[in-house]
Amino acid sequence: MGDLTRVTIDFETSHLVFPILIAIILGLLGLAIAIRDRARIAAAVPYWRRTLAAMDKPRFLGTIALTLVYFSAMVPVGDIWPNTGLGFLLCSIPYILATGLLFMHERRPRQVLPLVVVALAGPVFVWWLFTYPLFLTLP
Amino acid sequence: MFEFITPLFLSLILGGTMVGIIFGAIPGMTATMAVAVSLPLTYSLGLENGLALLLGLYVGGISGGLVPAVLLGIPGTPSSITTTFDGYPMAQRGEGETALRIGIIASFAGGIISLVVLWLFAPTLADFAIKFSYVEKFLIILFALTVMAALSKDMLMGIFSGVLGIFISLIGTYDVSSGGNGELRLVPPGTEYWLESGFSLLPVLIGLFGLAAILEQAELGVPKGHSAKDIKVGAHASFSFSVFRGQVVNLLRSGGIGTFVGILPGVGGSAASIIAYTNAKTFSRRPERFGKGEPAGIIASEAGNNGLTGGALVPLLSLGIPGDSTTALLIGAFTLQGVQVGPLFIGNNPDTWNAMIIAMLVANVAMLVMMYVAIRWFALVVTIPKHILFPVILMMCVIGAYTINYGIMFDVWTLAIFGIFGWLAGKLRLEIAPFIIGFILGPSAEIYFVKSLESFGDLTIFFTKSWIAMLLWVLIIGSVVVSVLLARKARRDGQGGEEA
Repeated sequence: MGDLTRVTIDFETSHLVFPILIAIILGLLGLAIAIRDRARIAAAVPYWRRTLAAMDKPRFLGTIALTLVYFSAMVPVGDIWPNTGLGFLLCSIPYILATGLLFMHERRPRQVLPLVVVALAGPVFVWWLFTYPLFLTLP
Repeated sequence: MFEFITPLFLSLILGGTMVGIIFGAIPGMTATMAVAVSLPLTYSLGLENGLALLLGLYVGGISGGLVPAVLLGIPGTPSSITTTFDGYPMAQRGEGETALRIGIIASFAGGIISLVVLWLFAPTLADFAIKFSYVEKFLIILFALTVMAALSKDMLMGIFSGVLGIFISLIGTYDVSSGGNGELRLVPPGTEYWLESGFSLLPVLIGLFGLAAILEQAELGVPKGHSAKDIKVGAHASFSFSVFRGQVVNLLRSGGIGTFVGILPGVGGSAASIIAYTNAKTFSRRPERFGKGEPAGIIASEAGNNGLTGGALVPLLSLGIPGDSTTALLIGAFTLQGVQVGPLFIGNNPDTWNAMIIAMLVANVAMLVMMYVAIRWFALVVTIPKHILFPVILMMCVIGAYTINYGIMFDVWTLAIFGIFGWLAGKLRLEIAPFIIGFILGPSAEIYFVKSLESFGDLTIFFTKSWIAMLLWVLIIGSVVVSVLLARKARRDGQGGEEA
């Protein structure tokens, strides 16, 4: 019994001990869930079909798309004026405006005007705050 | 001793509390989100001032949830769910202001009860935990994970989520500064440059609590905001403290339950308010009035969820284990300042400890005064259009992720990855709280586990090291057994799918 519980850990490979143990536990738990929830897993296709049908696709997918474009554009735009944070500023203004318009239900001038003000003032204020008083460089 | 009490310190608590109330009052936004997007601001504030801001946000955020719960019947935060049961019927009767004031006072009482427990209990627990070796420290983490999983909606899924969090936290280098060998693991080829240090904690948290919450709202079509006409505060209906006559026991019990639930790792405010509400109903002489506008229901719910605030800080400050998602974010504030929380924290950082207690006290008083005096103004917060708020919050999330490690764009992509993961997790029934706690505690668990085995060379050491280790195993097994029994009972009662 004593030999069965004895463990020697080689320092060179010690970085793999815990991840392997956790991966095995994760696999076993995943298997247990798969067996228990087999009926639910079998019904996954109709579930996702229902989820997609109920989803507001333009707003959901639009948010993801705009966010990914925003993240991708920040650095290339920022590289034009390095270490000024202008990449953040110039990308945030259209991002807030576009996302706000996407989220809006009625796009009348009276509703759009406050959004335009926030889309301009918000990023400018944050850019100023982080660039000057806080001295944190933005992209 | 109290040099940290400066005008800036106090202003940050007041500002944080006010912004927290606003976040809490807007359905779909939570205290956790408020703390997540404000974390980068703490970088240049220093630890005490940064914590002042975050604790103000925490207390304000939890308290603000009662505003839409009472006025619209929609919980502003998950922890206010039971406030809707009696608050909304009161508002429908034209007693909205009375219901809000009952909730505000109960929130304050719950917050103060939990603060007293924090002040008395955390240093004692920390003193005790200092004696723990790696073995006991590993078992404490195991206990935290099993308790959290046991109290999840689905225990198996809760454990799976916690273990998944640990697994993802292990991506990157086995940290040399903690005794590791500095080798990479679990890093896909070609990503070594970005994942050398694994995923950074704060972008992960900001993604899970910021971006994911907004994606959930976007999926629902970003429901239209409410107009001022929807809000029924009541025509200055008179509020009297006589409502609290005979409710002292309810107040103390609910605050105590909230505090206790807060101490349990990973159990959120919704569980605290539900348990407090259920107990208040069980012990009430008029249980039939609950759900129809009974003030005792609001008292129980709000004292319960605010009781969580101090309770959740007990395991964080004494053991380094966060009590809920928001206190998990506070770890980020400590990390930013290079301070480690754990058993040595209170003894080594008495100023920070005192600052936290004072900040919590001032935040609770500020919440009481602000909400009591200006409740009609805070009621209007629910009308702020989400199409303006959400894009600004998304921008703040980006800044938070980018600046947290002095400008690393990969952290912004981490935010995107975990934002989408957080949305997907809801669909796959994964539990975010255990995942987060697993992610935070994973690297420590590894060090404690591997070092225990390197030192003793025998697996039995985890059972035989000390009486504390044996006690912890009893608690671990006990938590799993209780959970299984509760799940069976719930299934028998036909409530298997309902939230605990």
